[in-house]
Amino acid sequence: MFFIPGPVIAALTFPGVIIHEAAHLFFCRLFKLQVFDVCFFRFGNPAGYVAHQQTENFNAQFLISMGPFFGNTLLCVLFCSAAFLPVWELKVFDPLAYFFYWLGLSIGMHAFPSTQDLSHLWAQAPALAKKGNLLAIVSLPLAGILVVLNYGRVIWADLGYGILVGVLGPIAIFRALAR
Amino acid sequence: MSEATCSACGLQASIRSLFDLNGQIYCAPCVQTAAGNAKRSGQSAAYMPLINRSICARCNTFISDQSTARQIGFARFCAACAPLIKDWSYPPWLKVSLAALVLLLIVALVHGKKYFHAGRAMYIGEHLVEQGKHAEALPYLKETLRIAPGSDKAALLAAKAALLTGDLAAAGKALHDHDDGHFENGQSAAFLEVNSLWNRANQALEKAQKASKLAEKDENSAEAARLMHEAASSYPEFTVLRIAAENLDAGAAFVRGDFDTYLSISENHWKQQAGPDTAISLANALACKYVLTGIIPLRERSIEMIEKSKQLAGGDAEALKALDEYIPLITYRIENRQIISKQEYNRRFRAGKNPIK
Repeated sequence: MFFIPGPVIAALTFPGVIIHEAAHLFFCRLFKLQVFDVCFFRFGNPAGYVAHQQTENFNAQFLISMGPFFGNTLLCVLFCSAAFLPVWELKVFDPLAYFFYWLGLSIGMHAFPSTQDLSHLWAQAPALAKKGNLLAIVSLPLAGILVVLNYGRVIWADLGYGILVGVLGPIAIFRALAR
Repeated sequence: MSEATCSACGLQASIRSLFDLNGQIYCAPCVQTAAGNAKRSGQSAAYMPLINRSICARCNTFISDQSTARQIGFARFCAACAPLIKDWSYPPWLKVSLAALVLLLIVALVHGKKYFHAGRAMYIGEHLVEQGKHAEALPYLKETLRIAPGSDKAALLAAKAALLTGDLAAAGKALHDHDDGHFENGQSAAFLEVNSLWNRANQALEKAQKASKLAEKDENSAEAARLMHEAASSYPEFTVLRIAAENLDAGAAFVRGDFDTYLSISENHWKQQAGPDTAISLANALACKYVLTGIIPLRERSIEMIEKSKQLAGGDAEALKALDEYIPLITYRIENRQIISKQEYNRRFRAGKNPIK
């Protein structure tokens, strides 16, 4: 396992950081929450952030916390699908395909919500889950897994996730389409 | 240092140690009681450090009791920040970037169209190979290789499908067009499987070539047939070898005078594949049987098959040349009711010309 400083990784994968924060902002605006500050990218830790008003609305909290996860994952799958075949399966040297693969992986790598994003969710979910809120019930294991994966960033869990989504996603799509 | 007074106990203290609850200032001990009272009376019990009311929650500018400062939720903001908090718009560069991202996605999908086509063909081919439908898989895999000849997976799948349908030429092309037969992982299961098939096919071909050499002499016809059968059984997918083995069986039957077997094999070949070669072979078997039996319908059918062989050869110069070598011999056998070997015929009638081998 080799260590690369976080800011370097963030700089190499900056599109993912920007899209992650843009997704946070999008959902904050969607639910009309006050946004105090936004940083789409910086050389620091965290590489980007959206400071916003907290909300008692669990659906809003869920989407604000998890929105980037779903958005980045979807974009990762789409970009990687366009590049997956020439890069991985067909072994065609196509610089444009490599560019799209980098873009897809960069976006996928920043899909994980931060521990702070998850902590808001984690704080509200148990009580609502007890009351039978389906979204809260679903969000508990998901948030739990993502917290663990967040800690796994030191062992490249974020890159692993990007590759997983960017390889297995397209494989699943193409295999399903080919049948 | 700014100071304020607790509205409950009258304590004057630094604003750092005081709290705000529903617009009233309290010291630390009083705020707890006041919060409890507020809760009981149905008011908000949320309090905040007074210092937070004095600075903008966004930019930390000291706002004290400025009239332009605005309270939003539990936080206060300076006049400059408040509008931003109310409506934090997307920066223009972000809008442009997101539009560019959508455009890039469209470009990526359009650019990847040919790869989707190739990939889809490969997955269909792979699926068919898994189902054992090798002949059906081959056209899909060839299509993939047309777009991506460097794909290890497609080349190996195509070679496998081709080898298992007996299409050695297609297998050879798939393998040799792929970086001159070099593969990234020479130890992969797929590579080893194709390598084993390729070696089996080539060994069978070597045997078949030996058998063909042996068959040049009539006295070796039985051994040639045996060797060709060995080749055919070691590579049964290549049906040409089976047909060649049966042809050699027919040749051996002719040499030992077993014309019933010769006729039966020739009939089978004609039924399986109607072509100039099978037609002339059947014509010859019928002629030989006529020579022995004198049965006129055999003679008539033999002549009929000679005509058919000419028709089937059409404009194919090579097929016509091959027929030219056999038709006079068969005609001689029919007309003279005498079976002589090719060598004998050549000696008698083709001296000085290129002998039939």
